[in-house]
Amino acid sequence: MARKKILVVDDEAHITHVVSLKLGNAGYDIITANDGEEALELALQDPPDLVITDLQMPYMSGVELCARLREDPKTTQIPVIMLTARGYALAQEDLDRTNIKSVMSKPFSPRQVLEMANDLIGHDEQTIVEEAA
Amino acid sequence: MGRAGIAILLCSAIAGMISGFVAVFLLPMLPISSGIVLALAASFALAAIVAGCIAPVLLSTGRDVIRLENQIEEAIDSGSQVTLHCGPWLRPLADALTQVQSRWTEKVLKLNTRLRELEIRHRLIEAERDHAETILNSLHDAVLVTDSFNEISLTNHRAAELLGFDTSTAARRPIDEVVHDPRIRELIKEIRSSGVVTRQKHVEHAMESNGEAGGRTSTFDVTLAALSDGQSGVGGVVTILRDITKEREISQLKSDFVSQASHELRTPLSSINAYVEMLIDSEAQDEASRQEFYQIIKSESDRVSRMIDNMLNISRIEAGIVSVDRTDCDFVKICNEVIETMQPQAAAKDIMLSMKSGPLVYTADADRDMMHQVVMNLVSNAIKYTPEGGRVTISVENDDTTRSVMVTVADTGLGIPPDALPRLFEKFYRIENYKRVAKGTGLGLNLVKHIVETVHHGTITVTSELGMGSKFSFTIPYEDPTSR
Repeated sequence: MARKKILVVDDEAHITHVVSLKLGNAGYDIITANDGEEALELALQDPPDLVITDLQMPYMSGVELCARLREDPKTTQIPVIMLTARGYALAQEDLDRTNIKSVMSKPFSPRQVLEMANDLIGHDEQTIVEEAA
Repeated sequence: MGRAGIAILLCSAIAGMISGFVAVFLLPMLPISSGIVLALAASFALAAIVAGCIAPVLLSTGRDVIRLENQIEEAIDSGSQVTLHCGPWLRPLADALTQVQSRWTEKVLKLNTRLRELEIRHRLIEAERDHAETILNSLHDAVLVTDSFNEISLTNHRAAELLGFDTSTAARRPIDEVVHDPRIRELIKEIRSSGVVTRQKHVEHAMESNGEAGGRTSTFDVTLAALSDGQSGVGGVVTILRDITKEREISQLKSDFVSQASHELRTPLSSINAYVEMLIDSEAQDEASRQEFYQIIKSESDRVSRMIDNMLNISRIEAGIVSVDRTDCDFVKICNEVIETMQPQAAAKDIMLSMKSGPLVYTADADRDMMHQVVMNLVSNAIKYTPEGGRVTISVENDDTTRSVMVTVADTGLGIPPDALPRLFEKFYRIENYKRVAKGTGLGLNLVKHIVETVHHGTITVTSELGMGSKFSFTIPYEDPTSR
């Protein structure tokens, strides 16, 4: 079974770096993007299993990215973890039109991001498979 | 009166003479008995003698009367006390008149004094009323005083302007006819009909600021106070409307600043927190990774600290409590120091960092550290947003028209989009698309503008062409204009 793939999107390089390291160390494949547009392009080319994105980004906001992913049949099922410095900015209608499963406010804990990723895309099974291999 | 007296005297004299003539010549010719004629003649003659004797006395008295009359007329005209002169016959009358005149003169004096007092009092009251009206009209708040019939008893221009009426015709008219805003009318009536003179009532009310629909909507703090009617009830109501739109905007700006600042601080804090947790969880697999994490933590905490410094400096300048240490600043020297400091960063991007200056550049009266910070900030930005192989040039010259030293930092970098130019010096403003080009607090240029314009009364301008580069120029007056 192939390793699960996570798309990490943030305009702060340090953040994409640390999330990638944490999830990569836990056995996930990671792709990164610096903004919403780039992320959408990557996701449509090769849909990941999970998207972790920042809310406020240039060109296209996190919510807009999620809405676009939801609209496309190829990516409509992909769950999203939203990292945001402004948890309150997410309106119910934004949650309704997207596949955002969890909102984590900054400063966030990479540990918790990993736990949430595991919960959403069943990393435990993946580890077992890998360990068995 | 005088002429009448003379006429009487003349008549009596003439009558006397006629009586004498009749007695001597005419009576003997009449066919009457000589005894009667004698008697009549004797009586006519007596009458003539008496008339002849009395006439001079009467004539002199008549003249006295005329004199008295003239003197009294004079006295009335002059309004002052006059001593009446006359012969002995009229002396008692003159004395009595003098006394009467004296008493009247006294009364007139008293009345005059009283009149003057009243005039002064009237003028004072008028001045006080003008004074009060001027004060009332110079208030920026609208004042409306209504009486127990809900009629306007006192108001000012601002109220007229705001509530849409004319001050000259509003007095004594019911508020229902004068005040267009229904809420204000309702509030006034409510307070009045409550029947108790209680403490002030404050209500926030939004309405068109010119009293007519279509104007700008402003927010008002409406203060209503019931006036006592002298007994126990409510006589009238004082209504004061204060425009608090600006205060609301400022408080909104402040809360926006706090929310923006905390957001901006969270980003580096978030990195610090995440990398520390990674170290705790031993996620750095080798020494090189650990070193990288330490570096990131260090640079992000520096960023937090820079932001806090900038915020504090900006708020100190805005609050006017910054301490400024003015000396004769040599800008050529300052720019050379900045170049020396920034040279390694420029070299790392293969950027040519150079300086040119006129043969003789004057010094300017400024805070040296702040000037260093301004030049440093502009040069650092120029290097950040100039691609490899570009050029950053600092020039220093005298601007004799404004009697200032002018420093220009020009680069061959990305340039600034025209729509971003007006917002460039705003707090926390960053050009969205350049965020990934370089890190920043979004406060640097705001601080620079404050230092140049607020603290040093200079100017800062920017010109830029997208893709061609940007040019920031600031001027600092040779002498501080406020110290002269």
